[in-house]
Amino acid sequence: MRLFYTSPWVPAEWIRAHGLEPRGVWYADDFAFEPAPLSAGVCAFAQAVVRLADLRPQSAVIFTTHCDQLRRGFDAVAGTVPGRFFLFNLPATWQTPVAERLFCSELERLSHFLVGLGGQAPSAERLQAVLDHYGRARRRLLQAAPACPARQYAEAIARFHWDGSVCLPEHSGPVGASIPLALVGGPLPRAQWRLLEVLERAGGRVVLNATEAGERSLWAAEPARDRGDAPASDGAGAQAGHIAGASESEAGRALACCVPPHPGPAHEPCSAAVSAAGSGGVSPPGGTRGKTPRALAGEDACATGLAREYLAHCVDVFQRPNTRLYAWLRERLDARGARGLVLWAYVGCDLWRAEAQSLREAFGRPLLLLDAEEVASGWPRITGRIEAFLEALR
Amino acid sequence: MKPNRMTSPCKLTLSEWDGRYAELVRAGLREPDYGGPLSRHVVSEGDLRLRRLRFDDSPAALRLWNFLLTENQRLRQARARGDKIVGAMKDLGTVPVMAYSLPGVRAFYPDGAWWTPCLMECSDGLLQQAEALGIDASFCPVRAMLAAFQNGEHFPRPDLLICSAGAVCDDFSAIAQRLEQTGFPIVWWEMPRRRLPEAGETALALPGNLSAPPIQVACVREELARLANVLGELAGRPLDAPALAGGIREANKVRRLLAALRRTVYGAPGAPLPALEMLIAEMLAIHFCSDREESVAVLADLLAEAESRLRQGRFAVPETAVRIFWVNPVADLRAMNLLEDWGGRICGSDYMFTHALEPIPEDLPPLEALARTALADPMAGSTLARAARLVADCRATRAEAVVVARIPGASHCAREGALIRQVVRRELGLPTLELEIPPVCDALLPMLGSRLQALIETGRQRRVKRVK
Repeated sequence: MRLFYTSPWVPAEWIRAHGLEPRGVWYADDFAFEPAPLSAGVCAFAQAVVRLADLRPQSAVIFTTHCDQLRRGFDAVAGTVPGRFFLFNLPATWQTPVAERLFCSELERLSHFLVGLGGQAPSAERLQAVLDHYGRARRRLLQAAPACPARQYAEAIARFHWDGSVCLPEHSGPVGASIPLALVGGPLPRAQWRLLEVLERAGGRVVLNATEAGERSLWAAEPARDRGDAPASDGAGAQAGHIAGASESEAGRALACCVPPHPGPAHEPCSAAVSAAGSGGVSPPGGTRGKTPRALAGEDACATGLAREYLAHCVDVFQRPNTRLYAWLRERLDARGARGLVLWAYVGCDLWRAEAQSLREAFGRPLLLLDAEEVASGWPRITGRIEAFLEALR
Repeated sequence: MKPNRMTSPCKLTLSEWDGRYAELVRAGLREPDYGGPLSRHVVSEGDLRLRRLRFDDSPAALRLWNFLLTENQRLRQARARGDKIVGAMKDLGTVPVMAYSLPGVRAFYPDGAWWTPCLMECSDGLLQQAEALGIDASFCPVRAMLAAFQNGEHFPRPDLLICSAGAVCDDFSAIAQRLEQTGFPIVWWEMPRRRLPEAGETALALPGNLSAPPIQVACVREELARLANVLGELAGRPLDAPALAGGIREANKVRRLLAALRRTVYGAPGAPLPALEMLIAEMLAIHFCSDREESVAVLADLLAEAESRLRQGRFAVPETAVRIFWVNPVADLRAMNLLEDWGGRICGSDYMFTHALEPIPEDLPPLEALARTALADPMAGSTLARAARLVADCRATRAEAVVVARIPGASHCAREGALIRQVVRRELGLPTLELEIPPVCDALLPMLGSRLQALIETGRQRRVKRVK
């Protein structure tokens, strides 16, 4: 079963390890924006998620609590079909043990939900193999960030969130005299990638994609074998590790051609990569409740490690305080020489809109606030604003 | 104008209240030190909106208004006496219970500044100043708070700021974050989105006939324990269980008085007290208007007045008025007057802090009790749970129509109004209306009037049909 998730802070690894297909909505071709039937103020992204949930009756959708609009979007669909929708409580705070406990408990609850959809609670080994795979994929994508053309990079990350694979272009794009920009803000799904082309045509170049499911959703965690909190992999896990080593040895070429995440046909989704790893290690139906204490301990350690990893690397506007977002941006804006910021904020998204002035003050760079709306009719206006912004930066 | 004390209570204009005040003083009115004629607030504080409001004519209402309108002065006086001031933000009813458990500590909600543009008819310039700080009209009027912190002309700068995060309004959270970025450090604490216990989880009872799983209660309890430490450090003495238990008992005095007042007024055939005074009275629950003991006295006066009027069958709003259940507070206080002018009356309310109206359990360890009460926040749970409670309340209060007040720019309002109305219509078949009310609604009076009157008329016609 396909399971759409709406925030990069929902661990796709966890879903994959349960034998289901996590699908980040940013890559879905039918994730479309239409005028909201409701009154003014409904965020177009949240409305598109609600619409997707309606259009895909055979799929499940994971909403998150990180914003009011998605949280209440869940309320709009929750009563319709029991068991098909899940609301993942993402803690807004991140400095406390409570945040970690909440995240862990949500993973456990998600596990029960996934089992209810036909998934199977993973063994520690299977989970580790999936974690390793995702870790490697993120590292590869991160390595490509500085040189990869923006449009292709957005697609590569969305593709990763779609099926866990890494598909990077062979060559980096020409740099020329274009103006380096950082694109910051909310979700930028496939239907809105045109923005990147518009920016480029106007003479800009996005050197940092800090939209919701952009580079912010990637991090270079320590490989599992070096982590103290992760259980040791068995042979199957080691197999996955070997594959990673082989891929990464090739990664000297910064922008390798579409490298599948494992031996096999190009673009094969990562489920196959870990299927061998997990084939002997799937928990019995019913989730963790039927497992032996020893296996549970391994799983729990993995889940705790996963929660810690996500909490440690989550960089987003909804966090309180959101100082990590600013630290993350500062480092990359300086390193990549971004001369201006484009803030991509949905109409109705208070969380991003409120940051416009703080971003200006924090980084001392010109900032263009662009409204992400529900219909494409706004492109001529957006194009005009971008051209004027870049003209001012020349 | 001299109200006839043997007939119905009157609603007085500000100038009429001056005459009434003189009359009361001559008759020997005794007032607390914050007392005085209401019109002085227009001159001294610039509360221009008072000139457009109409007030209940009782000494109890006079005391309520003076209590409300002197809050900033009283906070400054408390600061001068050496009290510590805590700015509690967003949780609406939890942190103040803790703060007032410590001697020498007062808490207030800077959020309350959202009514300043209304009271001052925007002459304060707070909304414009907020816009200059990057928070424009696409945000809830609570953005006035940001400017009030910056200019320091309203409430005193708190010694400590505490704000809940997580399942809270995005607009408020974003504004609070902006506030911190401008140099006001905030202690954030996590409020998870309340959910129902799932299979295999124990259901812990929360006030308001709600429930939550143990993990959520434990997390909130742990967060409150962290806050207790912070507050204890501020006060210079620990906020331990006995102190908090004492604070809960005192808070419950306020909540029980309010519950009795709501029962008396909302349950009566006509309304013994007007909607506007009831809205203000309900607000006392969240932080006691910065003086817990005095809020008990203010509420006790109001309750005595309401009970007396009920016994005598004297109502501020007649029995013929259509019974309206009101959801969300209004940005312009005048809207409550207008509702009654057009033939409605409030029979029940959910002003976004129903959890602060519920008594805090006294048979549980105090932090546990407070955590459960905090989790009962209607804004922390699902809109459907809020709607379910609302339906039960509408049944209990025999509501004839429901108004959902839309707060301009508030993130929760984009969707919740439609969901609530859908549930109300399905479960009760009542007419409903969603209205957006800006901080000064005068320019919208024709629209507000026609829509509210249509709703009231519909409610009245349904009443006639039922009788037939």
